Amino acid sequence: MPSIKLQPHCSSPVKATATASTPNNPLPTLLQTPSGLALLELQGTINVPSGNEEDDIDYSSMDIPASTFETPIGKLMFPDYSVHNPDDTKWMKRAYMYIGRYQRMTGEVKKLPRPIAVLRKRQASEDEELEVVEIVRYKIFFKSRPEPVTNV
Amino acid sequence: MSTQDSHSILFTHTRPQEGFRLLELTPELEELLTSKDAPVLELKSPSTALAQAVVDPTAHDYVNLCTPTQTYRIRQVQSSNSLHVLRPSRGEISQADIKVVEEAGESGALNLPDEAVTAIAKCSSALELHIPPGGFSAIPFLEKSLRLYDRRSDDDGDIAMGGSADSTGPLGSKEMRTARENMCQDIPVSTTQCEQGWMELCAFVDETEGVACWRPSARSRLAVWKRLVEGAVLQGIDLEKQFLVGDLWKSVLDDDEEAEPPFPRALLEAVVRRICIADERPPLADDIKWASFDKVECTQWVGETYLAATAPTTSSAIGRSEFLRAWKDCLPETWRVEATLSKLPNGCYNSPDPTTICFVEPPQRQLTNKTASAPATAAKAKNTRNWHELLKGRR
Repeated sequence: MPSIKLQPHCSSPVKATATASTPNNPLPTLLQTPSGLALLELQGTINVPSGNEEDDIDYSSMDIPASTFETPIGKLMFPDYSVHNPDDTKWMKRAYMYIGRYQRMTGEVKKLPRPIAVLRKRQASEDEELEVVEIVRYKIFFKSRPEPVTNV
Repeated sequence: MSTQDSHSILFTHTRPQEGFRLLELTPELEELLTSKDAPVLELKSPSTALAQAVVDPTAHDYVNLCTPTQTYRIRQVQSSNSLHVLRPSRGEISQADIKVVEEAGESGALNLPDEAVTAIAKCSSALELHIPPGGFSAIPFLEKSLRLYDRRSDDDGDIAMGGSADSTGPLGSKEMRTARENMCQDIPVSTTQCEQGWMELCAFVDETEGVACWRPSARSRLAVWKRLVEGAVLQGIDLEKQFLVGDLWKSVLDDDEEAEPPFPRALLEAVVRRICIADERPPLADDIKWASFDKVECTQWVGETYLAATAPTTSSAIGRSEFLRAWKDCLPETWRVEATLSKLPNGCYNSPDPTTICFVEPPQRQLTNKTASAPATAAKAKNTRNWHELLKGRR
C-alpha cells in the first residue's frame, strides 16, 4: 500500500458525529468543538460489561443510528465553571467524574501540549481513505484513582 | 462544600464503539489543516521492493505523513492511560439504567438526555510525528527507481537510443509529468521533496525505449555540460545572461545531428534546470524556456560532477593538480579562476594522500556529519517508547 489519502475535512457532515439533530453540547464552551467531539483521559480504563455478542469488533463499518445504545457510567462536573464567566479559566483546575453513585475521581481540564487530530476511515469512499474529523485542543484529564464518596 | 448546585453532566458509554485514531499535530500541520483550502495529505510507505533497496536503519516498517511540501515519520506511542473520545449524547439512554448513577425521583435536571455526553471510542495509543535529524530526501529512493543513463555522447554508432527516425517528436510535458508522478507515488516523501530530488539528480523522461525515467550518470552529466559549453561558445551565447534553452539545444547539435542528437533534449533541459539560477527555475511541471547560470554555483556543480565522473572511489583517486586543470578546462574561459578546491561543496571530496583527491558519495558525507549525534537520537527514540519516560514527561 504505497499511499493512503488523508482528507483534511470530514466528507459527510450529515453522517458525522455532529448533526443538526445533535442536542446541545453540555460541556464548558472551551471544550466544545464544531463536531462536538472532546477528549477525556483516564488512568486506567472503563470496563463496561458486554451485553451484546456482536460488540467490540465490527464498529468501523456500522451505520451509527440503528443499533447504538448508551450505558450510563456516572457524571462529569466542573464545579467552578460558570457560563456567565466563560473567559475565566480558573475552573479548569478542577473537574470531577463520578463513577456510579459512590466513587469520584478528581481531575482537571488541560490544554494539550500539541493539538490532536481525530482521524477515522472515510466511510463513503471506494479506496481506503482517512479523514480529519476534528482538531481537539483540550482534554479532561483524570490522573488519580477514584475515591469513595458517601453523599452525592 | 457542596457540588449539588453545580452543573452535572451525565456520562455514558456508547456501544458499539467507533474507530478513531489520534494524531498529534505539529504547529505547521495544525496551521495547514485549519487553513481555508487545506490540502489533502498522504500517508506513504515505500513499495516492498523500495523498502528492501533503501533500508532505513531507524525503522523497519514505517509510514510517513506527507503534506505537499513536508514529510513526517509517524510513530505510534502507547500509553497506559486511555483516551476516550466523547460527544454529546443523542439520548439513547435507557431510563431504567439511570439509577446506577442517580437515585430515581431525586435526580431533577440530570435525567434530561441533552445534558449527557457519551464515550464513543477509546484509544490507548496516539500517533506522533517527528522529523529525523537529517530530514527526508527522495534521492536514495529515486536512485533505486530511476534507470541509469550512461551513454557517452562521444561514442560513435552504437549510441542510438532506439530508432530515432520513427520517434515522432519528444514527449509532451503532460506525459512526462505522468511518468514522473507515477514513479513518485511509491516514494515515501512529499511531492516537493520528490521534485527536489528529481531535479538534483537531473532526472528526465525519455520515450525512445518506451517511456522511462532516467538519471544520468556523472559521466553523462559532464558530457552534457561539455557539449553545452562548446555550443554556447560557438554560438556566442552568454551563459550568465538569460538565454533561450531552445537556442542552447540548437547550438549543442552539430549540423548532421538534427536527426540523431547526441543525447535527449530532455537531458539537456534537466541539466540546465539543475544548474540554472534557483530563483529563475520554473516549477517542474513547466517547460524550462529561459535560463541563466550563476558562475559560482555552476562551477561548483561542474567540479563536483567532474570528480564524481573521474574519481568516484578512493582507489580511483586522481592527482589534485590534474583535477584542477581538468576542472578549469571544463569551464568557459572567464570562469577558470573560480575553480579552486575551497569552492567545492563541503565534504564532497576526500584526499587519500596529500596529492590526490576523490569523490565522496552524499550518503557517506552525511554519515561523517552524523556520527556524533546518531547515538543520542537513537537513545531518544528508544525512550519515547518507554512509558516510565512518557509519564515522567507528563508530570
